[in-house]
Amino acid sequence: MPGEVLRMENITKIYSNGFVANKDITFWLNEKEILALVGENGAGKTTLMKVLFGLESAQTGHVLVREQPVKIENTLDAIDKGIGMVHQHFMLVPSLTVAENVILGIEPLRKGTLDYNKAIEMAGEVAEKYNFNIDPKARVSDLSVGQMQKVEIMKVLIRGAKIIIMDEPTAVLTPQETEELFEQLILLKESGHSIIFISHKLEEVKRICSRVTVLRHGYCLGSYDLKDMSESDISKLMVGRDVVLKIEKDRPKPEKVVVNIKDLTKFDAQGKTVLEHISMSIRAGEVVGIAGVEGNGQSELSDVLCGMGGFSAGEVLINGTNIQGKTVHEIRESGLAYIAEDRMQFGCAPDMSIRDNIIADRYFKKEYHKGPFINRKYIDELVDRCIIEFEIACDDRDQPVRMLSGGNIQKVVVAREFTSGSNFILANQPTRGIDVGAAEMIRKMIVKKSREEKTAALLISADLNEVLECSDRLLVMRKGRIVAAFPQANLVSEEVLGEYMLGIKTMTAAEMEDLL
Amino acid sequence: MKKTRRIETMVELVRILAAIGIAYLIALVTLFAISDDPVFIIRQFVLGPFSSVRRIGSVINLAIPFTFTGLCFCFMYAVNKFNLSGEGIFMFSGCIVTLLAITLGRFGIPAGILIPLLILCGALTGFIVSLIPAYLDVKFSANIVVVSLMLNSILTFLSIWVLKYFMRDPTIGSLGSYVLPDAARLPSVFGKFRIQAGVFVALAMVIIVAVLFYKTIFGYKMRVVGSNQHFAKASGINMTVTIILAQLVGGAFAGMGGACEIMGNYDRFKWTASTQHGFDGLMVAVLARRNPILVPVAAVLLAYIRIGADVVNSKGDIPIQFITVIQGIVILLVAAEEFMGRFKKNLIYKAAQEDMMKDRERETREIMADAEATEAGKESVE
Amino acid sequence: MLTLEWFASFGFSVLRLSTPLIFVGLAAVINKKAGMLNMALEGMMLTAALAGVVFAGLSGNVWIGLLGAVVFGVLSGGVLGFSSLSGKTDLYLTCIAFNLIAAGGTVFVMYLLTGEKSTTSAAIKAYTIPSLKIPLIDRIPFLGNIVSGHNLLTYLSFISVYAVWFFLFRTRLGLRMRAVGENPQAASSVGINVKRICYLSFLVSGVLCGFAGAFMSMGWVSFFMTNMTNGRGYIGLSAMNIADANPIGTAVSAIFFGFSDALATTLKSQGTGFPTEFIEMIPYAATIIALVLINMVRINQRKRIEKGQKREGS
Repeated sequence: MPGEVLRMENITKIYSNGFVANKDITFWLNEKEILALVGENGAGKTTLMKVLFGLESAQTGHVLVREQPVKIENTLDAIDKGIGMVHQHFMLVPSLTVAENVILGIEPLRKGTLDYNKAIEMAGEVAEKYNFNIDPKARVSDLSVGQMQKVEIMKVLIRGAKIIIMDEPTAVLTPQETEELFEQLILLKESGHSIIFISHKLEEVKRICSRVTVLRHGYCLGSYDLKDMSESDISKLMVGRDVVLKIEKDRPKPEKVVVNIKDLTKFDAQGKTVLEHISMSIRAGEVVGIAGVEGNGQSELSDVLCGMGGFSAGEVLINGTNIQGKTVHEIRESGLAYIAEDRMQFGCAPDMSIRDNIIADRYFKKEYHKGPFINRKYIDELVDRCIIEFEIACDDRDQPVRMLSGGNIQKVVVAREFTSGSNFILANQPTRGIDVGAAEMIRKMIVKKSREEKTAALLISADLNEVLECSDRLLVMRKGRIVAAFPQANLVSEEVLGEYMLGIKTMTAAEMEDLL
Repeated sequence: MKKTRRIETMVELVRILAAIGIAYLIALVTLFAISDDPVFIIRQFVLGPFSSVRRIGSVINLAIPFTFTGLCFCFMYAVNKFNLSGEGIFMFSGCIVTLLAITLGRFGIPAGILIPLLILCGALTGFIVSLIPAYLDVKFSANIVVVSLMLNSILTFLSIWVLKYFMRDPTIGSLGSYVLPDAARLPSVFGKFRIQAGVFVALAMVIIVAVLFYKTIFGYKMRVVGSNQHFAKASGINMTVTIILAQLVGGAFAGMGGACEIMGNYDRFKWTASTQHGFDGLMVAVLARRNPILVPVAAVLLAYIRIGADVVNSKGDIPIQFITVIQGIVILLVAAEEFMGRFKKNLIYKAAQEDMMKDRERETREIMADAEATEAGKESVE
Repeated sequence: MLTLEWFASFGFSVLRLSTPLIFVGLAAVINKKAGMLNMALEGMMLTAALAGVVFAGLSGNVWIGLLGAVVFGVLSGGVLGFSSLSGKTDLYLTCIAFNLIAAGGTVFVMYLLTGEKSTTSAAIKAYTIPSLKIPLIDRIPFLGNIVSGHNLLTYLSFISVYAVWFFLFRTRLGLRMRAVGENPQAASSVGINVKRICYLSFLVSGVLCGFAGAFMSMGWVSFFMTNMTNGRGYIGLSAMNIADANPIGTAVSAIFFGFSDALATTLKSQGTGFPTEFIEMIPYAATIIALVLINMVRINQRKRIEKGQKREGS
C-alpha cells in the first residue's frame, strides 16, 4: 500500500528446538511514523525484529521494503536496504571514541591510514544534523548511558538507515534521558525516518507512537491506531491467557513465617537501584507468586535469596537465620531449595550424570557418605526413586544430563531440589522452555508440597497461567518495588494484573498492608 | 538416546586411536624418509622395544614416571587449571629425597620404613610447591601457566644448588651426589626384566587416584567444579578450596614420581637439567582424557614410542627430539574438537532424525490446536 | 670497580638483552588486543631462530636469513591460528603443544640439515646481522656508550614500539583488531569478520617473533642452539601482562626484565662468590614477583573504585 515503507507478511519462525516464536505474523510500517511493537516477554517481538534485521531467518513469509519484495539473509543486507537496529544491549567498544565506534566498519582512509579528522567530521555531521549533543572525540567509556544510546543511533544513521528499530530503548535510561530520546525520535520522524519502537512501557507508547502492533504468544493480535486506544485497552490485548489451565487445589492454611524480608534494597555495579524497600513474608504452607515484566528486579531478588548476590540494606531471614554475608552452602543449610532461572548454567552440570547432578546439594550429608567415600548404594537407590517419582525419561542414572530433553533436565533439577528436605522453595521461571507435560507436573508438585509438606514457596514467573494458578498470594513487581498484592491469585483478572504489571496503576502501602 | 551415548564413546575412542595412529604414521614416514636404511630403522622403531627382555623392562620403567606425572596433571586438568609445575616438582622432589636419604641413611633405618618415608617426603614436597602457582593464581590472578613454568626453572636451579653444596660427591668426575644408601633403593623385580619396584607404587597410586576421583566426596567436588563452575557455586560447593586442594594433591603425585624415579633407577642424584617428564605427563593426561584409569595405558603407549625412539637413536643416530614433535601433534589432534567432530555430528544427526520426525508430528498438532484457541481468544477480545 | 665505564657497559647489556623481550612483548600485545593470550611465543621465536640461521647458511646472505626468520614466524602464527580458530582447540593446549613441537622440531630439523644435535655453530657458517654506530651520539660520554653500537635489530625493536602503536591506533586493521578484542559482538554487528581478524593478529605477531628469533640466532650469537630462547617467550608475555597490553608500557617492562637478565649475567661473570644458581633464578623470580605486584596494585585500585561507587550509589 502506498505510504508503506515496510511490510512483513505471514512471518513464521520456528527455532531448531521446536519452539514456534512467530506464528504467521503480518504488520506494516508507514513512512514518517513511529510504530509501537508491544507484547510480553516471549511474545515474539525480538525474534520478529531479528528476522527483519537478518540475524535470523524465517520459515515462511516475505518482507517488502517500499512495496518491493526483498531478501534479507544477513545484517549487511538489512543495512543495505536502509534498516538499522539499535540493540537493547549496546554494541559499543568502550575504550574507543564516539567517532571510532560510529565509523567502525566504514572507516575513512587517507593514504592507507585512518583518517581521524574525517571520522570526527563524519560523526560530527550526523550529530549536528539530528541534534545529538555529543562530542565525537569523547571516549565511550566516559559517556552516560543515555549518550551511549545516542552513539548507537548515530551508528545506524550514518549508514543511511531510514527504518530504525529501537529495542526497549528506555529500559536503561533516566526520566530525563528518556525525554531527550523522545525529542530525538520525533525529530527523526519529521525528517523522514520511520521507527519501530519496541516497549512494554505503555505511557511512552501513548506519548510518541501513532500506531501499535500487539503480539501475544507468537501471534499478531492486530495493529491499531493509538488515538482510539487507552492504555488499558492495550494492556488487555497484551496480557492474557489464550487457554486457561486450572489447577485443583485446596485453600492454603499458612502457618509460621519461613522467609521474612524487611526493607530490602540493592544497588547494581553502576549504582542504580535494582531493589527498593522490598518487604514481604512467605509462610509455611503457601505459595507466593511474583508477577511482573522481566527486568524489574525479580532476578536480583532471586539472587539475593539464594546467596549468589549480595544486598546493600535491609534484612532477609530464612527460618530465622539472617542470610547477609552467608555463603550459598550456609543458606541452603538454613532451608533453601532453589530452581534457577538458567538451568544449563546454574541448575546442572551438563556433562555429568543424572546421579551426580542429583546429589550436588547433599553429598556431604551423613547418609550419603561413609568417611571420605561416597555411599554408592544409598545414592543409587535414592536416584532410582527420583527417576520413577519424577518421571525422568532417561536410559539410566549414569546418562549425562545434557542428553536429556529440556523438560527432563528440569525434572532432574526439581528432583534434587524437591527432595532436599528444605522448607523454602525458590522457583525462578521453573517451567520456561519445557514441554507441557513436565511443566504441569512441576506446577502440581509445587502446590502439593505446600499443602502436604507445609513448604513455603516463592514462585517467580513470566508465565501468566503458572503465576495465577499456582500461587496463593500474588505480588507484582515493577522497577524494583512491589506495586501490588492480591490475597487470592486465581481470582485476579488478567486485565487488572496487566495494569499493575505495566505501571498503569500502583497500590499504596495501605492497600497492601496485610498482604505482604 | 542410548544410541547417542554409545556413538559419543565410540567416537572418542576412535579419535584417540586415530590421533595416535596418525602420529605413529608420521613418525614412520619421517624415519623412512630420512634414514639410509629405512626398513631396518622402522623395524627397530616398531619392534625394538620388544627385542630384548631388558628393553621391555625399560618400557615399563619409563611408563612409571609417566604414570605419576600423568596422574598429577589429571588433577590439574580436572579443575581446568594449567598448573605445569609437575616438571619442576619431579626434579626437586628427587633432589630432596636424595638429600634426606643420604642424611638418614647413616642411622641405619631399614628399607621397609625408609622407602615409604621417602616417598611420603616426595609427596609432601610436591604438595607444598604446588601451592605457589595455585595460590598466586587464585589470590592475584597471576597467570598460572607463566608462574608454574617460571617456578620450574627456579626449582631446577635450586636442585642443582642443593646438589652442589650439600651432597656433591667429589670423587666422581661429573656432577653427582653421594651414592644412595642401599636402604633407600627400590629393588629390581621380575628378574631379567629389571623393572624397578616403583611399578607397584605407581599401580597402587593409579587405583588410589581412580578411587579418589570417582568414589570420594573430594573427587566428586573436583569433577563438578571442573564440569560447571557456576553450578558448583550455586550448589554450595566451595570452589576456591577445591581448586587449590586439587592442585596440591596433583603436585604430591608428581613429587612421588620424582622420589620413585631416583630410588628405583639411579644410584645417585645427577640430574643437571629438567627431565621433561612433566610435559610427558601432560600428554598422558590429555590422551587419557582426564580419566585416571586410562593413565597407565597411555603411559605405556607413550613409553613404548619413546623407547622405540631411543633404540632408533642408538642404532641409527636419529635424535629423539622428533618424538617431542609427534607428542605435540597428538595433543593437538586429540584436543581438537573439530577432528572427527563433523563425523560425530553426522552420526548423531542420523540417529536423532527418527526422533525428530516424531516430534514434528506432535508439534504440528499443537500448533493447529493453538491456532484454533487463538481464533476463539481473538473473538472474545473483540 | 663500579666505575662509570662499568655502568655504561651494563646499560649497554640491558638494552641488548631486552631486544628479544621487546619484540616478543609487542607480539603478545598484538594478540592480546585482538582478544587472545598467545602462550606459544616461545615456540614461534625458536622456530624463527632456526629458520634464520638455516636460510642464511643456505643462501650465504644474512638478509635472506632474516627474511627466512620472519617468514617462519608468520607461518608459525598461521599454524596457531588455524589450530585454535578453525580446529577449535583450547588455546592454552594449542600453545603448549606448539611449544613442544617447536622445541623438538627445531632440534630434529637441525639434525637433518647439519647432523648436529646441540648447536649449528660447527656446521653452518656464522652470519651476524651487523651493528651500527650512530655517528654523533656515540661521541656523547656515558650515554653514547649505552645507546650507540647496538645491533640493527635492537634499534629495530625500539622502532617497532612506535610501529606497533601506529598499527594499533592509526590503521583501519588496528582499529578493527582492538574492537574485536574488546567486544567481538560489536565488531560482528557492523559486518567485521572476527575470525579473520584473529587470524591476522597471529600473522602479525609472527612477524615480530620472527625478528625476535632472528636476533637470538644472528644478533646475540651467531648460531642456533637447542632451547636457546629459554623462557623468553613467557617473559615477554608477562611484560605485556604487566603493561596491560600498552605497547610503550610493554617495552618498558621488557627492559625491566632485560635489566634483571643483565644483572644475573653480570653477577655471574663477576664471580661474587654468591652461588650462581641463585643468580640464574633472578629473571624467573623477577617475572613471578612482577606479576604478583602488578595484580596486587590492580586489585587495590578496583577496591577503591568500588568503594567510591558505593558511596555515590547510597
